Amino acid sequence: MEYKASEMTAKYLRSRKIPSTACSGCGLGMNHKIVVQAIGELGIEVADVIWGTSIGCAGRQTFATWKGDGFAGTHGRVYAIARGLRIALSPEKKIILTVGDGDAFGIGLMHLIHAARSNADMTVIVNDNLGYQSTGGQYGWTTPQGSHTDSSPYGMFEHNLMSDGMDVMHILKGAGATFLARHVAMDGAVAVETVKKAIENRGFSLVHMPYPCPTNFGSRELGSRNQVNIYKWIERQAAPLGQEKEDTVWATGIWHDASNSRPEFSEFVHETLEKIRRTGSI
Amino acid sequence: MKRYLETGNFAITEGAILAGCRFFSGYPITPATELAEAMSLRLPQENGVYLQAEDECAAMHMCIGASLGGMKAMTATSGPGFILYMDPYGWALGCECPLVVLNSGRVGPVSGITGAPGQGEFYLMRYPTQGGNFEAICLAPNTAQECMAMTVEAFYLAERFRMPVSVLADQLITDGFEDISVPENDDEMKELGFRTWPRKIHQGPDFYPYTDALDVPPVVMGHNTGALCSDWTPTEEGFDIEEVEAHHKHAYRLIYKVRNHRDIFNHHYEKKYMDDDPDLVVVSYGSPSRVVNTAVEKARGMGLKIGSLRLINIWPFPDEHFDRKTKYLTVELNWDGQLVREVKRAAPKDSQINFLGTCGDLPTTPDLIETFEKILKDEPLSRQGWVLEEW
Repeated sequence: MEYKASEMTAKYLRSRKIPSTACSGCGLGMNHKIVVQAIGELGIEVADVIWGTSIGCAGRQTFATWKGDGFAGTHGRVYAIARGLRIALSPEKKIILTVGDGDAFGIGLMHLIHAARSNADMTVIVNDNLGYQSTGGQYGWTTPQGSHTDSSPYGMFEHNLMSDGMDVMHILKGAGATFLARHVAMDGAVAVETVKKAIENRGFSLVHMPYPCPTNFGSRELGSRNQVNIYKWIERQAAPLGQEKEDTVWATGIWHDASNSRPEFSEFVHETLEKIRRTGSI
Repeated sequence: MKRYLETGNFAITEGAILAGCRFFSGYPITPATELAEAMSLRLPQENGVYLQAEDECAAMHMCIGASLGGMKAMTATSGPGFILYMDPYGWALGCECPLVVLNSGRVGPVSGITGAPGQGEFYLMRYPTQGGNFEAICLAPNTAQECMAMTVEAFYLAERFRMPVSVLADQLITDGFEDISVPENDDEMKELGFRTWPRKIHQGPDFYPYTDALDVPPVVMGHNTGALCSDWTPTEEGFDIEEVEAHHKHAYRLIYKVRNHRDIFNHHYEKKYMDDDPDLVVVSYGSPSRVVNTAVEKARGMGLKIGSLRLINIWPFPDEHFDRKTKYLTVELNWDGQLVREVKRAAPKDSQINFLGTCGDLPTTPDLIETFEKILKDEPLSRQGWVLEEW
């Protein structure tokens, strides 16, 4: 099948990596498109973005898709790399990280919290496929309660970072993140607007974006790899913030917008060090 | 030159700054804490940045980020922190990211004795990460002054070889106060044998050549070169690929860029009384080598034909020093015997290899001389330590 690149794809993405090698029916491409579209609508150029990824489905499938500079870090540590990179980069460059749920909320949570604490300018897009899918489908830290996966054959019963009152968004807000939002992949244009705001915040932004995995999650929890089933299953359990129903798992929209309300990490560090050089104290 | 009575940590800090290091990230740990403290004081004065990290793993990752952004970066720790470097160390090796890593050895395993010198990471410096398919470069100074020199050298090698280079010291060397001369200009740098290499920027878009070539500029983000690097096996362009042939080429480069250019750094060693084919060669590195040198000198005065071989470049292991069949003794700050295994491997098959281990404290000169005499007379050692099995 010949793949015809859209104008947006031709401008921003490497043809060698698009389409990706993701499984048939994977929803990651929807998230990916939302992010690239947001970048395009903001008029950001290829040279203005450093695109970082991590491992797993989200990391591997988005690595090197960006036409400009890109890297893939170790599992869960890309937030620490990004903080060091932030210090070295000029402030107008954007760092956009497309990572997975295991990466951000499992192995990398401590580094994520410290990135939020420091308000380092980066936009973290957490592509949540509801668990560890590239290893075959084990539950993660935002997998809906009761879900059947290869490591929760009786249903996932542990409390996790989506449990009532324990939402990971609260942790990140408490840690100092200045922009937090959640959208499911099917939110389309609404999600694009949110990601634009996330990118425009000169500080730490995170958008949590659950997306459908028919191959592993869908086949274990819903008993089939039919893409429509898992898309509908996610859509049914998502609702805009304030309109949640009894069975809502993902409350979507902007959770916290304190954009540009406190100094950005690298600018703050450089300004403070400059003052130290001038006056000998902070 | 400016002279100071200061610690090895001070000397390392000044060496790093002379080499162009403008980013340091670390996590407090005895006995490397004072180095982080010195960096936090000095770097801001030199247009540099010091960032304390949430753990050692993050510290080295932040250094990776700074290096990826074009800065020369360094981190430092002790054994319990060094193991948290395993994750970023592998990334930096695979992505050919120049960095300098200092490990000040203390007594292990785990936290062990925090304020005493140890040499338990001899092999860890060779294998600082998983997966194999790489060579590592490690330099082991034995004085504060040499700490400065080897830090400068590590930065030089890191840039030319496009990789992390480690400096292995120990608690006595980094914490001890000594007479230190800090050069104040390029001529004085040259006088001390310091050499530096500027950070260059890879113009991409290719990630690396499938050769052992040196002086390939590292990947730097933010210059719109289309630079790519990742933790996966790379293609020449930097794309990720699951392919054995590509990995073979990648591994070839990581191994042979070092093995084929050892002449750049393998002059880092010290030989004393080695010109007359001594009956016993005492092999050591780091702080115990200072006692060894004293003991060998005394033994010579007593008419014993003993030489001292002090290794500074410990990895890749300099096999060329061990081509003569004779008696060898390694003196190390561990009781399991690490350097001795490598000497056993490198020396001619029927050489006699002996081991003297201590831990947390240096051996004394009388201890060493008694050991030399026993080895020369083929008498059993009172402290047998690690017994060499046949292998």
